[in-house]
Amino acid sequence: MTRWFEDIEIGADWPLGSHAFTEAEIIAFATAYDPQYFHIDPEAARHGPFGGLVASGWHTVSVGQRHMVDALGAEAERLRAQGREPGVPGPSPGVNAAEFKAPVRPGDTITYTLRVTGKRVSNSLPGWGLLTNIIEATNQRGELVYRAELVAFSKLREAAG
Amino acid sequence: MGSANPAWPPRKAGPAEWLASRGRLTYTSTAMNPVTAHRRHFEDLALGETVELGAVTVTKDMIFAFAREFDPLPFHLDEDAAKRSLLGGLASSGWQTGALTLRLLCDGFLNSIAAAGGLGFSDLKWRQPVMAGDTISARATIAGLRRSSHHPELGIMTLDLVVLNQRGEPVMTMSLANLVEAREGIPA
Repeated sequence: MTRWFEDIEIGADWPLGSHAFTEAEIIAFATAYDPQYFHIDPEAARHGPFGGLVASGWHTVSVGQRHMVDALGAEAERLRAQGREPGVPGPSPGVNAAEFKAPVRPGDTITYTLRVTGKRVSNSLPGWGLLTNIIEATNQRGELVYRAELVAFSKLREAAG
Repeated sequence: MGSANPAWPPRKAGPAEWLASRGRLTYTSTAMNPVTAHRRHFEDLALGETVELGAVTVTKDMIFAFAREFDPLPFHLDEDAAKRSLLGGLASSGWQTGALTLRLLCDGFLNSIAAAGGLGFSDLKWRQPVMAGDTISARATIAGLRRSSHHPELGIMTLDLVVLNQRGEPVMTMSLANLVEAREGIPA
């Protein structure tokens, strides 16, 4: 959220855009970070639980993070274009829960959406608020493939002076 | 922090409930899988089993490369911006710390068992930043083992993961749910 904590609305859906997963990038990501046979070897994957190659769940998650950061940056630019000062997003203390609901296969186009579901002023970090965000990812058939509840810091305007 | 949907996240509902809603499994007998035939299966795993995974040093170049692709926030891409940020210096993306941990988990454990895909994770906490030059290591403990009620040829393994830096301080903890092929389905 590239808005000040005070301005962030609860409940509104925020489209983050789509990404088409190719076989080459599925294999490249998994070779580096998740080298299980059903993520890196299309032939061996035919014998596995998905009946073919699928993306690492962590790949789906990481692409979602990229889309979120890009959307934040784009919103900051819009605010500056209107002569407004964007807010300051902070790092994340964690993820409450994440589910992989369906596999992501080569050629699938995954669409990400973010929704702020809660916010409160941080007790541990003066000047900052904490947001609860739900990110959802669906494939080209509208099936949910990934959903997570993320927590993120967001700076208070009053603290920025 | 409230949630708009009180039914989510499914803190009470476990991986079996997630699995039940999936219907994505394409086989009914794992005996036909030649890739995992000689690996340890669900029946070979023990509750409380702890696996010490390897270690990896997180370099500045690794941080820049991952951040450029997946998490291009100023405090992961620029050392001056990083010094001014909450992190106090150049640190890895939390998602990168997780990805590197997953690699350690594959090399040290998942690729030696008949692992059949991740269901999800919960209670992921980034407890302190992983700074450029830090060496992280990880430990996995089997915290749960049960049969899938809908796919009895599969078990659901819950792993508690602890990631430490070179000073032995926890930098990340999480609980991960993973499917594992069983040798035998439960007889009807």
